[in-house]
Amino acid sequence: MSRPEANGAKTDDAIRQWSAARHLPDARLRRWLLLAHEDRVALLELAETLRLRTGQFVTMFELIEEIALRERVSNRSINVTIATTLARGEIRRILDASGSAPGRARELIDALRTIRFPRLKRVTARLAAEVAALRLPGGVKVVLPKELSSDEVRIEISAHGGPELERLIDAVAQARMGLGRMADLIGGADSLDDEI
Amino acid sequence: MKFELDAIYIEEGVRTSALARRVIGTVPPHVAVSYVADGREAARPIVEVEDAFGAGKRRMVIMRRRAPFLMACPAGSPKFACCGYLVLTLASNCPMDCGYCFLQEYLADNPGFQVYANYVDAFDELERLRRSASAREFRVGTGELADSLAFDSITGIGRDLVEYFAGRENLTLELKTKTDEIEDLIGIDPKGRTLVSWTLSPERVFRSTEHRTAAPAARIDAARRVLEAGYRVAFHLDPIIAYAGAERDYLELIERLFDAIAPARIAFISMGGIRMTPALRATARRRFPDDPMLVGEEVLGPDGRYRTFTPLRLKLYAALSERIKKADAKLQTYLCMESASVNSRVFGEAALPPAVLGARLAGN
Repeated sequence: MSRPEANGAKTDDAIRQWSAARHLPDARLRRWLLLAHEDRVALLELAETLRLRTGQFVTMFELIEEIALRERVSNRSINVTIATTLARGEIRRILDASGSAPGRARELIDALRTIRFPRLKRVTARLAAEVAALRLPGGVKVVLPKELSSDEVRIEISAHGGPELERLIDAVAQARMGLGRMADLIGGADSLDDEI
Repeated sequence: MKFELDAIYIEEGVRTSALARRVIGTVPPHVAVSYVADGREAARPIVEVEDAFGAGKRRMVIMRRRAPFLMACPAGSPKFACCGYLVLTLASNCPMDCGYCFLQEYLADNPGFQVYANYVDAFDELERLRRSASAREFRVGTGELADSLAFDSITGIGRDLVEYFAGRENLTLELKTKTDEIEDLIGIDPKGRTLVSWTLSPERVFRSTEHRTAAPAARIDAARRVLEAGYRVAFHLDPIIAYAGAERDYLELIERLFDAIAPARIAFISMGGIRMTPALRATARRRFPDDPMLVGEEVLGPDGRYRTFTPLRLKLYAALSERIKKADAKLQTYLCMESASVNSRVFGEAALPPAVLGARLAGN
């Protein structure tokens, strides 16, 4: 049986090798090596299992750290760490799935964002449902601001010829109440109480 | 003096200034005083210190200001509705240490706590401003790059300012603070030309993020006392941080404020959501890695700053605005660093032009 410090040294060597191969910034590597042993191991497993690119790893590292901090504050009786965050059911399911590594990496980032930004995700889902309920024709696209970072709603109409354009404009006009409601939701309307 | 200093550096050229004499006469004996040829060098970050910005806060540099004292508010931008605030820079940096503070980025290259010995030259600039537009009302504040009152007990600048503004009909001084250091103001008659404003945050934000500031209750009590002493008062709910439970906490804070000070006696209340450039966010998180207020649901906005995502931010503004209006429909409120469209959504009307809002905020 190997000693714990020998395991630690082996882990750190593997972390350094992975970081060198991916040109991970030094500051990020230092932060990784400063973590508790089980957190270092959990991140290494994540990086290797999903064959993460540098940018993906940095994004995940940051999201996981933020999730752990947010959850430590909201529930002080639980010691939330990087390792415990990665052991959550919805995360483990992605890590253990059989799909392609890049596909699972994308899925994992999305899952982490849902945990990290719970209210944003709920509001985004509500808005997406509102857009779907409008049943706008294919040539009309409702573009919401990325991550709801502004209050701008854009409606794009793509038509080929006058009759199609008229039809699509009519469809937008018929949906004006619903579109207006959506713009109000982005402005923080009261009916968002359940999501926020 | 409630705040501690490690050292004071005095630029040779101002060693006989009234400010240097006042500070040397007041500062505790254990604080080392040295003289330097150029205060700008003493204000630079100390490279071997891990937290050079934090260390800079404990190093007062008394020096001559080379640049103009008066400038437009650095937050002003065509992207935002603007309150017409003018900034008088008499000092730079602050002994308090708020996790969200923009000075962490803005003063990264010169974090020493500079206080300008030639501050009376600012009065000449103010005279020129008055003469240039004698019919306009101007609101001029000293609390942008520094807290207006944090070191007033040793610098005595506040008294000179209040006395200067007391005789100027179209100028209003705003002293912005998170302290309860008001003793030096009591007993001076501001003649309606000085308003003292406090940034207010709920207890949770204060405890988590606003290091070395006075507690919210102490700030409100200080406001009540300066009001009784003849000053006008105003409040800034800024930055508003949208943590879970924030709406309830901010509304409770407003209740506590209105219990202590009748809304009709408050000059104005501003609101602004937390906003951070990526560089500021990185610095703040490095300096305060365990502060949950710095990991809220902020997203990168079109102006290049992280802000609380729009529906949540606007919902908070609307709830607070509604509560304020319910207390007193005439109480002036405005948003800081928000677009014209956000203003319209929150207040139901277009933002006022900067000069008009500025005059309204300055007016008695």
